[in-house]
Amino acid sequence: MTLWRQIKNTLFTALCSGSVLFLAATLMIFLLPMLWKGSKAVFFRKTVEFDKMQKELFKRGHAEDLERRTAQTNQARQEALALLEHFSRGIDTALLSREVRSAYQQLGRHLRYLEVSDDEYARLREQAKDIRDAFLQALETTDKAEAESLLDTVDAQQTNPRFQNSPFEVVFSLSKQYRQILQEIDLSRRPEYAAELDIVKTEMRNLFGPLPGESIPPLPQDRFGATRWDVAQRHLQYLIYQTKWVPSGKDDKRLIPKQIRRDDPEEGIFGKTELAPLFSMVEQNLAAMLQPRPTIYWRYFLDDSTAGHYFGGVGPEVLGTLLLTVLSMCFAVPLGVLSAAYLVEYAAGGITTRIIRTCINTLAGVPSIVYGLFGLAFFVLLAGNPSILSASMTLALLVLPVIIRASEEAIRAVPQSYKEASLALGAGKFRTFLTVTLPAAGPGILTGIILSLSRAAGETAPILFAGAVALGPIPDIGLHLKWLFQPTRALSYGCYDITVGDRLAMQVPHNQFGMVMTLILLVLLLNLAAVLLRWRMSKKLQGL
Amino acid sequence: MLLSSDKIQKKQQLLRPNMERLSSQTADRQPGPIRLADPNRKPELQQTIRPERVIIRSKDFSFYYGSKIGVEKITMDIEAGSVTAIIGPSGCGKSTFLRCINRMNDLIPNTRAEGLLAVGGQNVYDKNTNLVNLRQQVGMVFQKPNPFAKSIYDNVAYGPRLQGIRRRSELDAIVEQCLRDAALWEEVKDDLSKSALALSGGQQQRLCIARTLANKPKIILMDEPCSALDPLATARIEDLIAALKGTYTIVIVTHNMQQAARVSDRTAFFCLGKLIEYGRTDVLFTNPAKKETEDYITGRFG
Ligand SMILES: Nc1ncnc2c1ncn2[C@@H]1O[C@H](COP(=O)(O)OP(=O)(O)OP(=O)(O)O)[C@@H](O)[C@H]1O
Ligand SMILES: [Mg+2]
Repeated sequence: MTLWRQIKNTLFTALCSGSVLFLAATLMIFLLPMLWKGSKAVFFRKTVEFDKMQKELFKRGHAEDLERRTAQTNQARQEALALLEHFSRGIDTALLSREVRSAYQQLGRHLRYLEVSDDEYARLREQAKDIRDAFLQALETTDKAEAESLLDTVDAQQTNPRFQNSPFEVVFSLSKQYRQILQEIDLSRRPEYAAELDIVKTEMRNLFGPLPGESIPPLPQDRFGATRWDVAQRHLQYLIYQTKWVPSGKDDKRLIPKQIRRDDPEEGIFGKTELAPLFSMVEQNLAAMLQPRPTIYWRYFLDDSTAGHYFGGVGPEVLGTLLLTVLSMCFAVPLGVLSAAYLVEYAAGGITTRIIRTCINTLAGVPSIVYGLFGLAFFVLLAGNPSILSASMTLALLVLPVIIRASEEAIRAVPQSYKEASLALGAGKFRTFLTVTLPAAGPGILTGIILSLSRAAGETAPILFAGAVALGPIPDIGLHLKWLFQPTRALSYGCYDITVGDRLAMQVPHNQFGMVMTLILLVLLLNLAAVLLRWRMSKKLQGL
Repeated sequence: MLLSSDKIQKKQQLLRPNMERLSSQTADRQPGPIRLADPNRKPELQQTIRPERVIIRSKDFSFYYGSKIGVEKITMDIEAGSVTAIIGPSGCGKSTFLRCINRMNDLIPNTRAEGLLAVGGQNVYDKNTNLVNLRQQVGMVFQKPNPFAKSIYDNVAYGPRLQGIRRRSELDAIVEQCLRDAALWEEVKDDLSKSALALSGGQQQRLCIARTLANKPKIILMDEPCSALDPLATARIEDLIAALKGTYTIVIVTHNMQQAARVSDRTAFFCLGKLIEYGRTDVLFTNPAKKETEDYITGRFG
């Protein structure tokens, strides 16, 4: 008998601890990958481009050191970039034609400056125009012989003294360049080259920022190369490999993708061109070109971000989430506790109370998107535009049932003798509630608050229409309270936005998961604070 | 797990000196023939109370929980400055009657009172009765010690603060005086900011008494104040009651007849919601007029 009882006891203990362990393990399985992926937003290998970006967008970093490293990396990149530029002149005729056109225009200005006679002016212009047109035609044609004969007509004018030492002189050096290029490339494949070269250029821009000679792009994300080493590795792959669709078998008409190097001597598109060395050059010297260094970017939690979360951190999102959560608690807690007090202390067990209680229970189960739509239909319409105020009110509505239920239980659990003691001393009902019941119910109410804190911080649907934006000004918190009427960014909404954003998540996965991680950490932190508070409260209540 | 018999014996031996010390200190509280603490204590105590000395007057007072009778047709006067004990079997309405005096029964829905119950000449169940005033005048000590989960100081200062006393010096004086009156001062004076819940049960009950005293009531109602306490703590509370007598009118409900005999001047015996007998304690215990009373106090009841 005793043995049997012992076995039962052991079994029970094992079962209990087993289920707790299982719960913890499940939690870990869910959370750890998220946290691991998210941690890459903070712990990663930065490149020199990262420092440039920090210097330019956030005004931080060591200027001299950065200059030195920029010079070093520029030197390492120089050869590859020069190669690319030289090659693209042949393919990208737009570049050459632009230069020729501009030389022609400048010639006009130059001649006016020289104050030549009108006849002379017209004649020279006419000549230059012919040269220009011949050059442009040479650029356009896919027939090598024709192109060369056209270039011959251009070169014939080289000796004209009027063109010497004028801006138009550059045309002849361009013609020489193009003649050389013509030797190197197969003109008939030019459109094919052009398309691939575009990709190569894009990837080079992704790696090293704007190419030499290009103007500064308007979007911040285009102004810098790969700021992270892992991103750089990814773009290196895109740069080197092209996808070719090849038949999977002999009779099979199905095509399968095949990765081949662009500089492959047999199959690669640039295998037999002058550009071929570029790929191995970049591949081997990437570290020298970008200078990766491990870093801890703790400001991730505080920094503002550029549009689309390419660079920077989640500071405004954290602030927004905190504001929304705290504000919604400010609305929900007093309202919830007072309603609970009313239900327990004043409206004891009538049919009305039962109906109210059923309603509250039902509300707790309503999907959050319904609250979101209600927030849109009610608060937003009332306030005029989506704002922090309407969003936090919607969140408050969402968590209200939870808080009411928890507070109700907590208030009901306060021993009647406590209240009697206060009443017997002549205190009124309200006074008794404030000074005796509420403190005693505090830990229980806090439990409800903890539950709803996490919910309010994490919900996306209720604030979707009520006041969350992906991009917007950072709330400038102050006594003027204007910030209450502005929309805000929020972590939960940010996660959603990055994920559904067009190809955004693919480009900034570290930011996507970084936001998730920040949200998890924030919720844990808020919970920890509340748990500590509850612990202190109940300790005090127990008289320790 | 069961202890073997010799283990139990060992334990008893270990406990014995302690038990002996206890029994010697509380020798007069052991069961046995009922003895009065001091038979000649109040030679002037009259069987009937002079009208000007009456502080609580109950005349044909009945109280109903819905249709159920709590107490029925209670007629008794309680003398100012005296200690009155209410005894009776469980469920006979002692608590009900006591809680009617400061209207604590208002908390229970569907109750009804009939007849007259007056404190200081003022009908308690009058519509115009100011409950706050009444409860300040008529303090209550409950069966289970129920200090607030606040510091000792805040517990005692709760009542004065309700009455609007805010000055720290004034509060300090009240707290000290009441704790002294409740014979708790020496034990807690060094850490008044300690939580009241960290005190022992007996200390908590004395704190509750101090808290009641701080309200400066005329009457203190005590509902089995010692039922949760050990003999030593009980003795201290009884001493306290004796000390408070005269200044305060005390009505105490108790199941302990020795206690009733020891502390009270008059005793009321309730049975099944009715007042059976009410009179001087020494008379009631030595020479009860009613058969039920005699049965009850001699333990033949049932
Ligand atoms: N809240 C209540 N609702 C309904 N009936 C009640 C309530 N409180 C007490 N009663 C009833 O009133 C009667 C008297 O109860 P009361 O508590 O006054 O007895 P008591 O003499 O104090 O008993 P005890 O010595 O056990 O404390 C009992 O029959 C009890 O069932
Ligand atoms: Mg009772």
